[in-house]
Amino acid sequence: MKQNRFDDNGNNSAELDRILASEQPLVPSSGFLASVMEKVGEEAAAPPPIPFPWKRIVPGVTLVVGIGCYGGVSLIRHGILGLGADTIQPPHIPAAAIHPVEQAGWVALALGISLLSWLLSRRLAGRSGLL
Amino acid sequence: MIAVANHEIESRVDPDLADITRVLSGDVQAFEGIVRRWQGPLVNMAWRYCRDRSRAEELAQEAFLRAWRGLPQWRRESSFSTWLFALAANVFRTELKRFPDVDLPLDKAAEPYGPAAQFHALDESSRNEAVRRAVLALPHRYREPVILFYFHEMDLAAAARTMGLPEGTMKARLSRARVLLRSRFPHLETQHAEMEHAALEKGKEA
Repeated sequence: MKQNRFDDNGNNSAELDRILASEQPLVPSSGFLASVMEKVGEEAAAPPPIPFPWKRIVPGVTLVVGIGCYGGVSLIRHGILGLGADTIQPPHIPAAAIHPVEQAGWVALALGISLLSWLLSRRLAGRSGLL
Repeated sequence: MIAVANHEIESRVDPDLADITRVLSGDVQAFEGIVRRWQGPLVNMAWRYCRDRSRAEELAQEAFLRAWRGLPQWRRESSFSTWLFALAANVFRTELKRFPDVDLPLDKAAEPYGPAAQFHALDESSRNEAVRRAVLALPHRYREPVILFYFHEMDLAAAARTMGLPEGTMKARLSRARVLLRSRFPHLETQHAEMEHAALEKGKEA
């Protein structure tokens, strides 16, 4: 046991040291070793964890980031246009003409996303040997 | 070639290294030797963190499992014991943060005082236990240095290595912890002196 040489306040810590250093050693229970080895055996027998499929995730993430960027840019552009609305007037298009085009755009976007997700799921299932 | 030869010599000298080499080559049962040699220190270390026997064994088991998983990452830059103790301290700290015991504020820790001569031994034993329990009521940053310093038989360098702290920081925290403990048990030294005096007087009478 080493001497206590760093009691900065000049107080006597000998009794504190004696109490805290004189702990009765605890003997592990008889089944402890077996219990640990059982757990280790289970871990060793378990199949290795499946790594996260980063490569497969990349196309989806790219798509989402792309849509996000496009949305952000569009918002900024519309904002700028909105600010400059006093000076620059966008050409007037009748609402009856815009509405069907807008709807068709949404339908095309939904179909595109469905197609992409179907292709992605087929690809993932194919690589996992499910197809 | 020389490195391989050195490694073989080390393995022959150090039973831990020999077992680790076997474990890393796929012999799961070789880990038993490591557990057998280190179960006592790890359970005792965990006990100092929680003062609950069954929990100490659970914590020590978790530390062994982490050691098993982490063996391939051990770079042999420090001794196996240093690595194992640092890993265990990390596990105990994390696990006790996840599922903490009821934290007792330091000023609520019992301070038995007033020795009765006839219950001398009992009084001393209960006082010592109160002091040990008061360590767990210290703020986190001071608690662990105290636990590890006394676990490592008052070896400051070993305790600092286990915590991964510079010795100076460890020393400062330990010093502050002592101040806090002394403020909680102001009669500790005088009580001890009284007890020694009483024992001396009894010896003279006899």
